[in-house]
Amino acid sequence: MTTLALARTRDAERIGAEALQARLDASAQAARTPANLATSLHVLTCGSVDDGKSTLIGRLLWDTEGLHADQRARLERSPRTAAGTPDFSLLVDGLAAEREQGITIDIAWRYLDAGPRRLVIIDSPGHEQYTRNMATGATHADVAILLVDARSGVKEQTRRHAAILDLMGVRRVVLAVNKMDLVDWSQVRFAEIGGEFERLAARFGFEDALAIPVSAVLGDNIARRSAETPWYEGPSLLEHLGGIPSGSLRSFGDFRFPVQFVVRAGQDFRGLAGTVAAGGIGVGNEIIEPVSGQSARIKRIATMGRDLPHASDGQAVVLELDADLDISRGAVLTKVGQEPTVTRNLDVRLVWLADEAFAAERGYLLRTGTDLVPIAGMGVRAHLDLATLEERAASNCAANDIALARIELGRSAAIDRFADHPATGSFMLVDPISGASVAGGVVAATRASKSKTANSHGAFRLTRDLLARGLGADLPPTDRRADAELRRRANEVAILLRAAGVSVELEDAWGRAGLDAATIWLWLMAVLSFGFIGAVLLGLV
Amino acid sequence: MTAALSHLDLLEAESIHIFREAAAQFRKPVLLYSIGKDSTVLLHLARKAFYPAKPPFPLLHIDTTWKPRDMIAFRDRAVRELGLELIVHVNEQGRALGMNPIDFPPSVYTDVMKTQALRQALDKGGFDAAFGGARRDEEASRAKERIFSFRSEGHRWDPRRQRPEMWRLLNGRLGPGETARVFPLSNWTEKDVWRYVVRERLDVVQLYFAAERPTLVRNGSLLVRDDERMALRPGESIEMKRVRFRTLGCWPLTAAVESDAADLDSAVAETLAARVSERQGRLIDHDEAGAMERKKQEGYF
Repeated sequence: MTTLALARTRDAERIGAEALQARLDASAQAARTPANLATSLHVLTCGSVDDGKSTLIGRLLWDTEGLHADQRARLERSPRTAAGTPDFSLLVDGLAAEREQGITIDIAWRYLDAGPRRLVIIDSPGHEQYTRNMATGATHADVAILLVDARSGVKEQTRRHAAILDLMGVRRVVLAVNKMDLVDWSQVRFAEIGGEFERLAARFGFEDALAIPVSAVLGDNIARRSAETPWYEGPSLLEHLGGIPSGSLRSFGDFRFPVQFVVRAGQDFRGLAGTVAAGGIGVGNEIIEPVSGQSARIKRIATMGRDLPHASDGQAVVLELDADLDISRGAVLTKVGQEPTVTRNLDVRLVWLADEAFAAERGYLLRTGTDLVPIAGMGVRAHLDLATLEERAASNCAANDIALARIELGRSAAIDRFADHPATGSFMLVDPISGASVAGGVVAATRASKSKTANSHGAFRLTRDLLARGLGADLPPTDRRADAELRRRANEVAILLRAAGVSVELEDAWGRAGLDAATIWLWLMAVLSFGFIGAVLLGLV
Repeated sequence: MTAALSHLDLLEAESIHIFREAAAQFRKPVLLYSIGKDSTVLLHLARKAFYPAKPPFPLLHIDTTWKPRDMIAFRDRAVRELGLELIVHVNEQGRALGMNPIDFPPSVYTDVMKTQALRQALDKGGFDAAFGGARRDEEASRAKERIFSFRSEGHRWDPRRQRPEMWRLLNGRLGPGETARVFPLSNWTEKDVWRYVVRERLDVVQLYFAAERPTLVRNGSLLVRDDERMALRPGESIEMKRVRFRTLGCWPLTAAVESDAADLDSAVAETLAARVSERQGRLIDHDEAGAMERKKQEGYF
């Protein structure tokens, strides 16, 4: 056995084998269109420096139209490898200073043209902090190349990589068994590694998994098939990448349109700008906004230059409706019968990205496609052990942890399961004070909203404690004026949130009456303290 | 379902998405317009993103006072025809000091007339985000740049404060004192830009096309003398040559190439077949190793 190609069973079941085949045929057709770049493919490379990852990427650049003559000449002049070839890794390993800068998440993007196809190579570093880097890179990938050294085979790290790919929704994987020249092009060794990979791929149910014997340094089975591996009948790496369909197979079907903003032009025009995240829509179709239940028909699909009769997955358009609905940024339009869940309760899997650990009282915001939803409560319940894939109970979360968590939103939102709709089932967590993106994740399940007294009427509750730690972190803890300043800020926040459609309530005396109640309370305190000071001055105490 | 979108269609849609996300999240954005092909594509995409309305932000041109006259004329015509607001900013202290790219080291000149000028203009306008046409394929140190790139107070680029970007989610929530640079062309290559110029039939500055121009050779670079401010040194002479530019900038710092490609199609064909990267024409990049890296940390775009 030299290659393995697992049946694309999962999606074939979900979307119907015929639709799948039609999609594959369409992609293959497009890939053959001559003259210009018909499609692009995003390729994530996973592996450590020791496995020869930089050399592999450098070799891909060298063997395609990814380099200019001056870059080639510079490499030709550089010191050679032991094998006498140019050191391709020099094309990839950027400036020394850059490596020392310590970018928290560093992904390098490279672009090369292989025949009719643009390959976008997403390179995430393989050092020990690789989890968050790789997870970030994986969210942009159509396919991943897992790189292993033929001498060491599938390692613990390879399994971890596969687990991260699975988590972030990468369904296609290529195992590049590198340094085959160092194991004398052994068919037996390759079959052994291929078998291990087959078991790994089956465990995660990857749709398309192929092992290829290569030598990145010598170029065997990279751009051309190697004479050293007559026993291998499969494609070279570039041939294989050329045949993989672009985009996610799962991103079509139900219509999803996250609204970016309302476009107004002149007296009459009011449209909704956005990018179709899944499915398609045509003029005359009925759409619905699932949170409010408002519906209307598509009157016009506008783009500069021409109106479209139809818009589908990936297109940026402006939708004009036949009725003036109260819809703003953050809404997700869909078709009747295709609605996502409207919920406040999410079960999620996330990767923690920030150096600062999870802190429940931070009051994170949930960033979805175009919405920013306050989180009322969040609890980590377990970590996923990447090696064993077992859940371990946990309540904290730090950089590089993969955690399972429960999120309660401060208001209802239309959210999908990631498995059904990657674009509307993925999110990032945002720190409300620093603005930093602290985690990214996928929605594993949505749960029916529980009725809780604290926010049963749909209000997001700002507690004094929460505000003091975040909004008032710079204020002295026991100062009356600081307290007044904290109140002022809290009210500003409440006003802004209400203006954005989020109902907010402030704790206790900071309640719904807002500024008025707070001001009265403040004045009372002031009068009392002045009274006290006055009493002291008068020598009464 | 309609046919799969082409590579250029997807890039266009992504850029429009980025423009819209930035406009929806930042309070007061501005578009840095530098007149070249990348800016031309950037501006075209901005118009598409907000159609049928106009882009809800002004254009900002950092004028070093050393751009070829053709560029300035092109700029003024483009802005007039599109009915957009243009802010032109010159570092007046630099001008008063007589700062120029001939007598001063390119790095000093660039710092004063570009980097510092840009900071002044952004502060003066109170802009919290600036769109730029930078691409990741331009240079090694750009390969890791984010689409939303954050700057701390003083416009400094702090690698530790750069945010991971996942899926299509663009987080534009600013921390205290932060501003952002937004790069809608991040995933475009030079070839994509030219292909798009051809596809959309965009008007670009004539300097990209070959014509007889007054040239001289200095330090091995073929320069086009745009005006009399560059005095000839002993042994130098002006020669009329058929030349064009692959990249545009301050004329004493931008090398031309001899070419017969006099129209868009032939110039693009020549570029697509080019064996040399475009930055070879930018003299400031050769100034010293790691120049771009350092300039970026100091706030150069």
